[in-house]
Amino acid sequence: MTTLFDTARRRNWALSAFLSKWMEIGIVPVLILIALYLPFAYFAIPEASVLHMSLFGINLIGQIMCFALLALALDLVWGYAGMLSLGHGIFFGIGGYLMAIYLLNGAYAETRVLPDFIQYMGTGGFPAVWKIFSRLDVTVAITIVFTALVAGAFGFVTFRSRINGVYLSIITQALTYALMLLLFINDVGLGGNNGMTGFTSIAGHRIADVSTQIGLAVGSCLLLVIAYVGARYLVRSSLGRALVAVRDDEARMRFLGYRTYTLKLIAWCLSAVIAALAGMLYVPQVGIVNPTIVSPQLSVEIAVWVAIGGRGTLIGAIAGAILVNGLKFWLTSQLPEVWPFVLAGVTLVIVVAFGNGVWGSLKAAGEEANR
Amino acid sequence: MMKGRWLLQAVLCWLVAGTSAGAWASASHTALLAAFCASDSNKSVALERIVDAGVSDTARDQAWARQIVDAIRNSALVCDTGGGATIKGAQPLDADTLKAVASPAASDSPYVPSIVMMRKLAVASAELDLFSAQRDTRVAAATQIDKFFGLLDPEIVSQAIKHERDPDVASLLTLAMAKRGLGSSDRVERLAAIKAVAEVPSETARTTLANFVAQDSARSDPQVLAAAQGAIKHIDTALSFGHAFSILFSGLSYAGVLLLTALGLSIVFGLMGVINLAHGEFIMIGAYSTYLVERFVQAHMPAYFDAYIFVAIPVAFLISAVCGMLLEFFVIRFLYRRPLETLLATWAVSIALIKLVQVLFGSQNVEFVTPGFLNGGMQVSPGFFVTYNRVFAIVLALLIFLATFAVVRLTKLGLLMRATTQLRDMARCLGVAAERVDRLAFGLGAGLAGLAGVVLTQIASVNPSMGTGFVVDSFMVVVLGGAGSLLGTVVSSLALGEINQFIEPFYGAVAAKVAVLLLIVLIIQKRPQGLFALKTRV
Repeated sequence: MTTLFDTARRRNWALSAFLSKWMEIGIVPVLILIALYLPFAYFAIPEASVLHMSLFGINLIGQIMCFALLALALDLVWGYAGMLSLGHGIFFGIGGYLMAIYLLNGAYAETRVLPDFIQYMGTGGFPAVWKIFSRLDVTVAITIVFTALVAGAFGFVTFRSRINGVYLSIITQALTYALMLLLFINDVGLGGNNGMTGFTSIAGHRIADVSTQIGLAVGSCLLLVIAYVGARYLVRSSLGRALVAVRDDEARMRFLGYRTYTLKLIAWCLSAVIAALAGMLYVPQVGIVNPTIVSPQLSVEIAVWVAIGGRGTLIGAIAGAILVNGLKFWLTSQLPEVWPFVLAGVTLVIVVAFGNGVWGSLKAAGEEANR
Repeated sequence: MMKGRWLLQAVLCWLVAGTSAGAWASASHTALLAAFCASDSNKSVALERIVDAGVSDTARDQAWARQIVDAIRNSALVCDTGGGATIKGAQPLDADTLKAVASPAASDSPYVPSIVMMRKLAVASAELDLFSAQRDTRVAAATQIDKFFGLLDPEIVSQAIKHERDPDVASLLTLAMAKRGLGSSDRVERLAAIKAVAEVPSETARTTLANFVAQDSARSDPQVLAAAQGAIKHIDTALSFGHAFSILFSGLSYAGVLLLTALGLSIVFGLMGVINLAHGEFIMIGAYSTYLVERFVQAHMPAYFDAYIFVAIPVAFLISAVCGMLLEFFVIRFLYRRPLETLLATWAVSIALIKLVQVLFGSQNVEFVTPGFLNGGMQVSPGFFVTYNRVFAIVLALLIFLATFAVVRLTKLGLLMRATTQLRDMARCLGVAAERVDRLAFGLGAGLAGLAGVVLTQIASVNPSMGTGFVVDSFMVVVLGGAGSLLGTVVSSLALGEINQFIEPFYGAVAAKVAVLLLIVLIIQKRPQGLFALKTRV
């Protein structure tokens, strides 16, 4: 199918061979180096140097790492279990909103000033239920459990009735759309259109502090590393192989006696939790959460990052997210009108001509060369 | 039967006219004027007599009364000491014979009506208008009378109600009469008025009665109170039926657009297993094609402006269909075995198209001039107002569906499409050019979405991102109805359209969407391939 690559495949392409062989492990030290470099680049390197990074740049890298986590999560279910979810924004949003509630708790405890949208609604004081989220560790634990429950409930009803393929994509997209509409309503009590903002501190550190922001970016890098290592371990385990088999022929797996929906459910819940953790790291870095993070648009975009990078490779998903988002931040500041056309063009070319995405094609070429 | 009713009505009219004319037939114009001009006369009673003469059958009397009433209103009627009267103006007229005379003596000053009398005159003038042949004039007159219901002349108005063919005007007048009756102190009159109001149920009628019940004078009389409360209940029932019908109706028009959108989606999905996320953008293309046609017709053939919508139907279909076939040719055909990637590719096309239209036309709503014959609507029953643009949407959707049905069932293309849908490989073995069938079917689907765009220009706002919201709903229709099933598409778009419109007014648009979604998730637990799954052998 990848006709354009046939010529390249015949040549002995040393670079791609090297990449495909070593980068799968090599990405771990690379990401750790980036994480270590960030504080160094801000504090130790003088501003005049090209190697110096502004706080804006570091913040950007932190956000992109969150998106890479999100892409990794989607690649687990799409690349390895064959379920294209167009609703991973839901889990991202759950993480983001719960984190925002924790942050508002902190802000309220500090200033004793109610957030604007609660004042506006006139429902009285700070919602009592929110006080559960007054500690970061509790919030993280609740988020993980809650996301797993939501994902599990949805997965249970859909996978058990064998909804898959395009049907699954459509339903997840519709759910995302519905959730976004729900969050737009003020009466839901999550800030409506404007969302939630006005965060002051996280786990005792001022949000506005340089060290906190750098810490969050470094944390995002490191979580990405952990998630990547974990996901790589998972997909190479027997569970991962079973998942791939389900992706390729679910009926046969069922006939062989596997309870395929349990396999899919495990991957689905795990992926959802990773997406929620990405949301938890993302929100304090951008300083606001609003319904746009559960827009169907973002959820499709996640799939596009994975498709561009190459699904079913983990590393491709990370690379795709970093590439596309890096390009997006750069282009929207330079030529905002052009960005949608570029994104559409790149997506079309990759999807139509390079079905395996950038990384997948490189890897295929490399394997050919190694033979 | 019809003829008999006509005859009866004519006789009745004649009888009514006859009695009222009979009572005042002897009063000639001279006597009427003298009664008005007499210094000790009750002017309003005299005015009523003049109006009575004006609503008689003879055209001469009608013209005379109108001229006199107008003259009084304009303070142009001059009574002289001799009992005669003159109408002032560039050419003074004798008020009796309406013939030119010399100017009245300077000592005779014109009659200047008081404010109360001015209102009375306005009502008198409106009462004369009630018998006009123009509907607009009658509506304006009835509104005027309703405003000053205390001053109306019951005999004339009830005569007008009997004459009236238009139910709107008749019910307005009945209401005015009833309001007057409610204000009376006589119990029988009040009860009759309550009964009359209950017979013309509407929001205003309900408000009138509710206000009446709140009054002390009504509360003091238990019989009147009970009657009024009974009447309110009666009106409420009638109105809730009307509301139900209007929700049903707007649901129907929504379902029509949904049907047009989902038909194309369903055909393509059933045939190729491809979900087209750019389908909503074909709606948008259809709507913007309509816009271009509208501009063109306005600029070059303004005389035929109203017909632009009919020109737009084939134009929008063709433009969208060609766009669809181009999309199929350049993108989709490379992705047939990879439906999930098709989702992403078509998504990319959709964002590019939206941005393109934004650049070309701007991102704000485009203003449409509705063709004259689609403006306005018709009151079918109390609380149920049918607008013509929605009727147009429903009828057009129905016709297009029938045409599509005919294409799929009766034409050769339809036959090939069905064969390819059922078993692609076997169809190809038998010589069906499946690629060509795909392309044509994709074009058909896109064209149908374009037609949905034409319909939407009349009932919704048109902007570059108009398709995105719609397409999610159409996906739901396809999922519920089963891919490739025409019947399933009809049933599920009707169901979803109606459910949406029934939940929306009570719990909001979001609740409607969520409820529909949950319903679908539940239904496909039992029927994963949709309600009307086709038997395919893939």
